[in-house]
Amino acid sequence: MAATSRKALREPRASAANPNAPNGSTPAGALLAAALALPGMLPGNAGAQAAPDQGVIQLQYLNYRDWQPGQARMKVETPSLYALYPVSDTLVVEGGLTYDAVTGASPYYYNTLSGASIGDYRTAGDVKVTKYFGAYAVSVSGVISSEQDYLSRGGAIAVQLFSDDRNRTWTFQAGGSADLINPVNDVVVNAKRDTLEFMIGVTQNLSPTQIIQSNVTYSTGHGYYSDPYKSLDQRPNHRNVTAWLTRYNQYFTAYDGTMKLGYRLLFDSFGSVSNMLDAAWVQGLPMGWSIAPALRYYTQSAAKFYVNPPFPSGYPGEEGLYTADTRLAAFGAWTGGVTIAKVFERGWSMSLRADFYRQQPNWRVGGSGSPGIESFSARWLEVGVAKTF
Amino acid sequence: MPPEAPLLRTTFRAMAAENDLQLWSPDASRAQRASDAAIADVQRIEAKYSRYLADSVTSRINQAAGGSAVAIDSETAALLRFADHCFDLSGGLFDITSGVLRRVWDFKARPPTLPDDAALEATTRLVDWAGVEWDGHSIRLPRRGMEIDFGGIGKEYAADRAAAICIEHGIRHGLVNLAGDVRVLGPQPEGTPWRIGIVHPRRPGATIAGLELAAGAVATSGDYERFFELDGRRYCHILNPRTGRPVAHWQSVSIIAPLCIVAGSCATIAMLHEGNAREFLDAQQVEWLGVAADGKLHGPAARFAAG
Amino acid sequence: MRSSLLLACALALGGCATMSPPQPWERGDLAKPSMQFDADKLEARTQQHIYASKEVTTGGYGVGGGGCGCN
Repeated sequence: MAATSRKALREPRASAANPNAPNGSTPAGALLAAALALPGMLPGNAGAQAAPDQGVIQLQYLNYRDWQPGQARMKVETPSLYALYPVSDTLVVEGGLTYDAVTGASPYYYNTLSGASIGDYRTAGDVKVTKYFGAYAVSVSGVISSEQDYLSRGGAIAVQLFSDDRNRTWTFQAGGSADLINPVNDVVVNAKRDTLEFMIGVTQNLSPTQIIQSNVTYSTGHGYYSDPYKSLDQRPNHRNVTAWLTRYNQYFTAYDGTMKLGYRLLFDSFGSVSNMLDAAWVQGLPMGWSIAPALRYYTQSAAKFYVNPPFPSGYPGEEGLYTADTRLAAFGAWTGGVTIAKVFERGWSMSLRADFYRQQPNWRVGGSGSPGIESFSARWLEVGVAKTF
Repeated sequence: MPPEAPLLRTTFRAMAAENDLQLWSPDASRAQRASDAAIADVQRIEAKYSRYLADSVTSRINQAAGGSAVAIDSETAALLRFADHCFDLSGGLFDITSGVLRRVWDFKARPPTLPDDAALEATTRLVDWAGVEWDGHSIRLPRRGMEIDFGGIGKEYAADRAAAICIEHGIRHGLVNLAGDVRVLGPQPEGTPWRIGIVHPRRPGATIAGLELAAGAVATSGDYERFFELDGRRYCHILNPRTGRPVAHWQSVSIIAPLCIVAGSCATIAMLHEGNAREFLDAQQVEWLGVAADGKLHGPAARFAAG
Repeated sequence: MRSSLLLACALALGGCATMSPPQPWERGDLAKPSMQFDADKLEARTQQHIYASKEVTTGGYGVGGGGCGCN
């Protein structure tokens, strides 16, 4: 039996009819499309899978100092640890431990009535378990943070949905925390604060070198928000915060550099609205080194019940609420920092980061800064080492 | 915490060459299972399509030339369909029936001699992919003496199949290297790309460029694999199917593409296109490195040149 | 303020119409640590914790980071 002739099965192609013609009829990627029809072809690499297959241990040490003109300094030293362990192809466990040691006087307007220095230690730990199911992943996490006068326990659930081509991921997160405040000066005893938090986000690969992420977070809480160490501090007993964060990264092949941009808009029911813009450039260098300068600008408006100094004249605010805590004042702040990192053989890496931060009322954009408060400055150093295995 | 697993490197002989499989997984036994399965499939493909083995599919098809049709399975049909696409995309230059020209070009003869024009012309008439009768179930070579061979795509296909098998076993880091046709299935265990050297076409043992790949494939077609030189001219084994004569424009062309079979066929087609290669390669949107007859480097991947 | 938020959302979505999402073999550069959003989890947490203690800002980066007594 003769097979049916090829010519009977399909129309003659333009290029076969005129073999000497140049390839005007070569559609881009046509060979690849033809190759994908072969049995069992899997292009690219298995990085299309979402679950990590390598464990990580990371250690970091933070050294933080802040100061205001003419005031004593505050110092914080924090070692912390993070580990990730892939239990199987589809199950990952992560956890972290932090130990904050805070010493020194707190900034001027943060002093207690007695003017005492503070010495505070905080221990925090968290665990997260993630299970991957192919088109989606589910995580469950828990966190505890404990200080002499404050205990916070929280849990969260997260779901990630991966698109078919794995270029888009939707994230849905929900969590809650229950806090207990027991200040050493016994202004309140066992004050509670409960918070519920929700986030919807999407991450999209825009092109082989561009990725964007946008999240909206809503949190609602009630309970004790005032600062027990400040004389005359009376804040609302509920708080809602809505934040919209967008981040964008782009890699420039010609320079081996990555541009990272971020913008966050935040509305706080305390009455404050804040805008944050940050930018960084990660420059690859030879031999596994990289250097990354970064800038951040932040501006916030004052809380409804914030009272300008000198305190107590000019109070009370609406509904008998008032605070002089400059954290709730109107100001702008700049951070400038640089990170130097190196990747070694066999999964070791190291990084060193230094940041300088300064907060000033007259740096506010979009409104006037709160009068009568000094600038506030801080600097911090982070040294980290990590190993993948 | 699992102990740190070593990189599993296996060298094996297949398709008349030394081949190399490097795989890494946190689970060393999984890497071993993947390696065994991948090597077994490479050997299966060699046994099925090698024209040197009398009972291979290729040999059975060639022995029936001028006679009745031979039944083929879906894998063979898919390879023929791919070869047919290459034929169309290359304007008829990539022709899997052109292996018969081997009979008149003897690269092993000492001293080397050029074929006489009559023999060359007669043999060129047996190169005729357009006249082959085939469909999804069978193939018939219409004239006695006609031959097909998968030499231009078989090794590259095997590299992609080996990579797919490793990926199916859950391996995320490694590469398959079949005598210089390389398919990367994932970066090195530390996340860095693999460094793959491109052979210098005129200096054995030296490399002319070092590519860095974390995914995808690279294949090279060159005039240095089988050739002879006569009166200062090089005659290589890549033969234009219409003239029956070797190409001369490029010393070698290397292609980076998502699949090794695409890289390999593009490289061969580029060599066959000679002066028109650039236009073809730009349309395929692959990264390429060409070493011209004068030794100069061309193409976007020329930035990987050594030194 | 709310209308500018809506406008910004619309612009962001409109920009997405011109994208060309990568094929699986084109995602090599996206896997670089510098291209990840939270490659260094400890650094991200430290930064957020410092800013939360000095500014009214809290959050936007993810749920479940745990509270601190910085009020």
